[in-house]
Amino acid sequence: MIQFFNASVETDNRFLLQDINLKITKGEFVYLIGKTGSGKTTLLRLIYMDLLPKKGNVIVDRFSSSSIRRKQIPLLRRKVGVVFQDFKLLRDRNVFDNVAFALRVVGSPRRKIKSRVLSVLTQVGLHHRRYQMPDKLSGGEQQRIAIARALANEPFILLADEPSGNLDPEASNGILDLLEDINRKGTAILMATHNYNLIQKYPHRTIMLEDGKLNENAKLN
Amino acid sequence: MNFFYIIKEGILGFKRARLAVTISVISIALSLVLVGIFAIVAQNMAGVFQKFYRQVQLEVFIDPALAISQVQKLQQKIQKHYLVDSVIFVSPEQALSEFEKDFGADLVAVLDENPLPPSIRVILKSGESRITVIQDFVGEIKTFDGVDDVVFQTEIIKLINEYSLIGIIVSISIGLTIFIIATLLIFNTIRLTIYARRTLIEIMKLVGATNFFIKGPFIMEGIFQGLFGSLIAFGLLWISNYFIKGIFATILAVPYQYYVILISIGVVLGFLGSYFSVNKYLKY
Repeated sequence: MIQFFNASVETDNRFLLQDINLKITKGEFVYLIGKTGSGKTTLLRLIYMDLLPKKGNVIVDRFSSSSIRRKQIPLLRRKVGVVFQDFKLLRDRNVFDNVAFALRVVGSPRRKIKSRVLSVLTQVGLHHRRYQMPDKLSGGEQQRIAIARALANEPFILLADEPSGNLDPEASNGILDLLEDINRKGTAILMATHNYNLIQKYPHRTIMLEDGKLNENAKLN
Repeated sequence: MNFFYIIKEGILGFKRARLAVTISVISIALSLVLVGIFAIVAQNMAGVFQKFYRQVQLEVFIDPALAISQVQKLQQKIQKHYLVDSVIFVSPEQALSEFEKDFGADLVAVLDENPLPPSIRVILKSGESRITVIQDFVGEIKTFDGVDDVVFQTEIIKLINEYSLIGIIVSISIGLTIFIIATLLIFNTIRLTIYARRTLIEIMKLVGATNFFIKGPFIMEGIFQGLFGSLIAFGLLWISNYFIKGIFATILAVPYQYYVILISIGVVLGFLGSYFSVNKYLKY
């Protein structure tokens, strides 16, 4: 489903990622850990092809970084959901419209938009808050909206870049419970995190980036 | 691709980024007012030069012994030339009265007779400023039967040519400068309105919107900004021109084509400004 073959990214003659080989299979839950600047975000960007490797190849579903055309990148991104530490919500529209936005911009029919939005909002437990503005919600709730938006187009994998980075422990646990639930329903999860407590509480395959190199047998200190 | 979606989002963009868009529309309006004012001034300046050129006349002095029919034939012959706008016969009496009006002297009282010969006054078509061409024409007239002499004010034309050349160079320099400033200002303000919503573009990219779907609403919004800005500029220019004409009757009326061009410039700059600005965020 996702495979890296000796993928390298460099900038100013310095490797951000070096010879990465990685395979994530369907429905898997994987943690990506590493120090700040170790290349976690860069690796995620390679998956949704916001960045293309300088060397090697990244295969995501039926798309290959070495042969993908610019026009195909939006099609790839409809199959990959992404959430960030800072939520990236649109402050000028309510919860419903934030989620519906992901469907509108890909040209989904109106009827489908309504039912799909209500469905994902129910899944993240915010159906009752659909007419609230994001700023009126807690951090945990805002992250849930971001997750709902990422799920709107039914991706096969959800990339989460420090999704609990701005949340208190209780809200973080809530997000992990939600991600576990999403994963149980068949969506693969790749979560970049610093929060080792969460990894211990919700154990899954953990990979580590150290100075741009991947260590498949990461040990938590 | 839903065209109505793009129109709707383009209009909603106004609502969502009210302050930024308002500032942008006002900037576009003021920039275009500058362009418009300059165009009107330049048009009036060109009008003044045209007026000067219309005053360029040839005085063809003719043999006093010519019969009226011969004078008329000569007039027709001159009138046929492509440089000529109109010809007027000036009798010795008319010439005398004009002389007395211009100089206040009573020639007949001094000389006991009217010394002024009859002439044909030739008014050239406006815009003809090539001295050599006029001189060739003067030479041609001199060969006509019954023509004694032709007087042509070369120095005046030289002077008008000199000043109109300066006028053209100054106008083009100022015009280009104003246009470049207006374009940069419009591009920058539109860029700022798009920069303020870069998160929106980022999210659109993340959820898989095609570049065309991302660009569409922004370009539509840019076009609307350009349109509204230029309509405001049109209103301001039209009103001020109306009042100024009331005060200075000699001011030339602004042809409606000027306003059409102004509005088109607004729309095109709005389109280009938004197109290039939004493209900046769409590498992948």
